[in-house]
Amino acid sequence: MTGLSTLFTELGSTAKAPTGLVPFRFREVSGDILLTNFLGDWLFVTQDEFRALARGELDSASPLHDKLASRNFLREGFDQAKAAERIAYKKRFLNWGPNLHIAVVTLRCNETCVYCHASRANMDAVHTDMTPEIGEKVVDLMLQSTSPSVTLEFQGGEPLANFPVMKHVIEYALARNRAYGKGLEFTMVSNLAMMDAEKLAFLVDRKVQICTSIDGPEHLHTKQRILAGGNAHREAVKWIERINKAYIDIGLDPTLYHVEALLTTTREALKYPKEIVDTYVGLGCRAIFLRPVDPFGFAGKTAQIVEYDRAAYNDFYRTAVEHILDLNRRGEQVLERYGSIFLTKILGDDDPNFLDIRSPSGSGIGALAYNYDGKIFSSDEGRMMYETGDPAFQIGDVFTSSYRSLMKHETVRALVMASIREAQPDCVNCTYTPYCGVQPEHSYRTQGTIFGRMRESTLCAVHKGIQDFLFDKLRENDPKTVEILRRWTTVRARTHFIHASSAS
Amino acid sequence: MSFHLGEGSVRIEFDEGLYPKDAIYGAAYVFIDRCWVHLDRAGDRRIQVTLKSKKPGADTQVYAGEFQNELLGQAWRLRIVDENKKLVESITARALGGAAGPPGLDELLAMDIGEETAFEDPLGIAMSWEEKYKKKGKGEGAKAEAEGASGDASGGEKAS
Repeated sequence: MTGLSTLFTELGSTAKAPTGLVPFRFREVSGDILLTNFLGDWLFVTQDEFRALARGELDSASPLHDKLASRNFLREGFDQAKAAERIAYKKRFLNWGPNLHIAVVTLRCNETCVYCHASRANMDAVHTDMTPEIGEKVVDLMLQSTSPSVTLEFQGGEPLANFPVMKHVIEYALARNRAYGKGLEFTMVSNLAMMDAEKLAFLVDRKVQICTSIDGPEHLHTKQRILAGGNAHREAVKWIERINKAYIDIGLDPTLYHVEALLTTTREALKYPKEIVDTYVGLGCRAIFLRPVDPFGFAGKTAQIVEYDRAAYNDFYRTAVEHILDLNRRGEQVLERYGSIFLTKILGDDDPNFLDIRSPSGSGIGALAYNYDGKIFSSDEGRMMYETGDPAFQIGDVFTSSYRSLMKHETVRALVMASIREAQPDCVNCTYTPYCGVQPEHSYRTQGTIFGRMRESTLCAVHKGIQDFLFDKLRENDPKTVEILRRWTTVRARTHFIHASSAS
Repeated sequence: MSFHLGEGSVRIEFDEGLYPKDAIYGAAYVFIDRCWVHLDRAGDRRIQVTLKSKKPGADTQVYAGEFQNELLGQAWRLRIVDENKKLVESITARALGGAAGPPGLDELLAMDIGEETAFEDPLGIAMSWEEKYKKKGKGEGAKAEAEGASGDASGGEKAS
C-alpha cells in the first residue's frame, strides 16, 4: 500500500512543523485521507494535500485552506462558543438518565435458538416468571428516572409466556405515571408464536410496540430457530401481517407503524445478504439492523457454529447495504439501522442516543435491566452474563435498591469511565472517535476487561468496517447515494405509541 | 526488562522509571486467576514480578509475554487517562449527576442523624465570624485573612 505507510518517510528534513491547525485525526479511506476533528467535522483531502499539510506548507490562498477553514480545522476563526454549544447539544443525553428499562418477565421460551442470548428456560420452569409484585417495583424504580420519557421493554425468554404479569405491569405503569407525567412507551420483543387475538387486542389497545426476530428467508430462520410442533418463521410472518393490518385498521400510517424485526447475523446468514434484505422488504419492514452475533448467553457456548471472522461480516454488510442502496434507487424506502445511527452523527451533527454506540455508553446511565427475580443490571448484556454465572454487572435489586443508589453504584461509575472513548488506547487516536461508542460489557465478556483492547475487539472491527464503508460512499460523493444516506438520518417520531400523561 | 523461566514459574524484572507502579499492579491483577503472583523489589528502582502457574504444565513463557503486553497496555492507558483527566472527570460527573438527579426525601431520611452526629459542623457554618476568622499567630493569621478575603470576593455573604 502506498499512502499513509510511506507518506511520513517522504517528508524530508526541509519540512516545517504544521501550525494553525486544531487537533485532528486521520485515516486513509480508498486512497484519500479522511480528517476528523473533535467536533465531528470531517473532510477528505488528497494524499498530495495531506503531504502539504504534514510539511507545514498550507498556503492561505489555496482551496485546501478554505476547505479546512469551512470545517473548523483551522485555529484562525475557530468559534469556541459555538463549538462548546455543539458539544453540549451532542452530549445532551448525559442530562437524561436511563430511558430504557428492560423487564425480563420470564426466562421460559417456546423456541430453541442456536444463538440464544437470553439463556432461555424450558416452558415448565415457571419459577423463572416475574411476579406481579416485582413487576410493580420495576415500574416504581423506572418512574424515578431523571429521564423525562421512559420506555419499558418486555423481554424474556418469551414475554408472552407470562402475559398476565405483563398485562398487570402495563396497567400499573399507566396508573402510576399519572403522578409522574413522563412520556411513557411500551415495547415487547417476542417470537410471536404464542400470540392470539385476545393478546393482540390488548397490546394494540395499550399501544405496545411489537418487535420480533426474523433471521432471513424461511429455510435460514427455521434452521436456527426451532419451534416445537410448528414453524417459527411462518408463525412470525403470520402475526407480523396481522399486527400490521391491525395498525391500518385503527388508521395508522403503515409506512411508520409496523412490526419491527431484528436479525441476528450468524455464520450461516453470511451466505444470504441479498435474500435477507429481500425478506425484510417483503414483510413491509422499513429498517434492517444487520447485527452481528453477540457473545452472550448460549451464543458463547455455540460459538463454533455461529461465530465468524469479522472481515467476513464486513463483506456481508457491504453486499447487503449495496443491495439496500440499489433498492432505494428504485424507490423502495428501506434503511440499515447501523448505517443510520452512524450517519446521524456524521451528517446530522446529532446523536441518536443509541446506547451501545455512544460515549460514554448507556450502561446504567442510559438503560437498566430487571431480571425476573428482581435483580437489577447495568444492561441486558450484564443480565445475560449473570444468567451464565458472572454477577459482575449486578448493581442492585428491586427490594433494597434506591434509584440513586443504582446510578451512583461503583460499577456504573466504572462503566462510564471505561466507555469514554477519548481516554482509551486506540480510540484516543481513532479517526472515528467522534461517532463511535462501545459496550463495556462486550469488552469484559470477550477480553476480560471493561476497558477493552479495541484493535482485538470484534465490536471495534464491526464499527470500523461500517464507518469505512459509509465514509467511502461519502468520499465517492455520488449525489443520489448521498441523498439516500442523508434520508436515513431523518427520524419520524411514532407519537401514537407515547402515553403522554400529565401529572396530577 | 529481563525475565527468567523456572519450573512452572516465570520471573520478570522491570525498571520502575519506565513502568509506573500502578501499571505493574494493574497488570499483575489480571493474572491472579491463573497464577500466584508475587511482587518484590529486585534492586534500586527495579521491581520483580514472579508468576507461578496454578495449573501444572502451563507455558510460562507465554505468561511472560502476556504480562509484558498487559503492562504496556496498562501503562499507556494510565498515561492517556492522566492527560485527559479533566475531560474524563467532567464527562463522568455530568453523566452520573444527570442520571442520579438531586437527592430526594428518601435520601434525606436515610441520612445518619443521631445525637452524636447531629451537631457536627465540618464547614464551620454555625461558627461566628469572630470565632472563625479571629487573629491567630503570624502565619496562621495571614492565612485566615486570605481565606476571609476570598470569601468576600465570592459574594461576601459570610460577612453579613
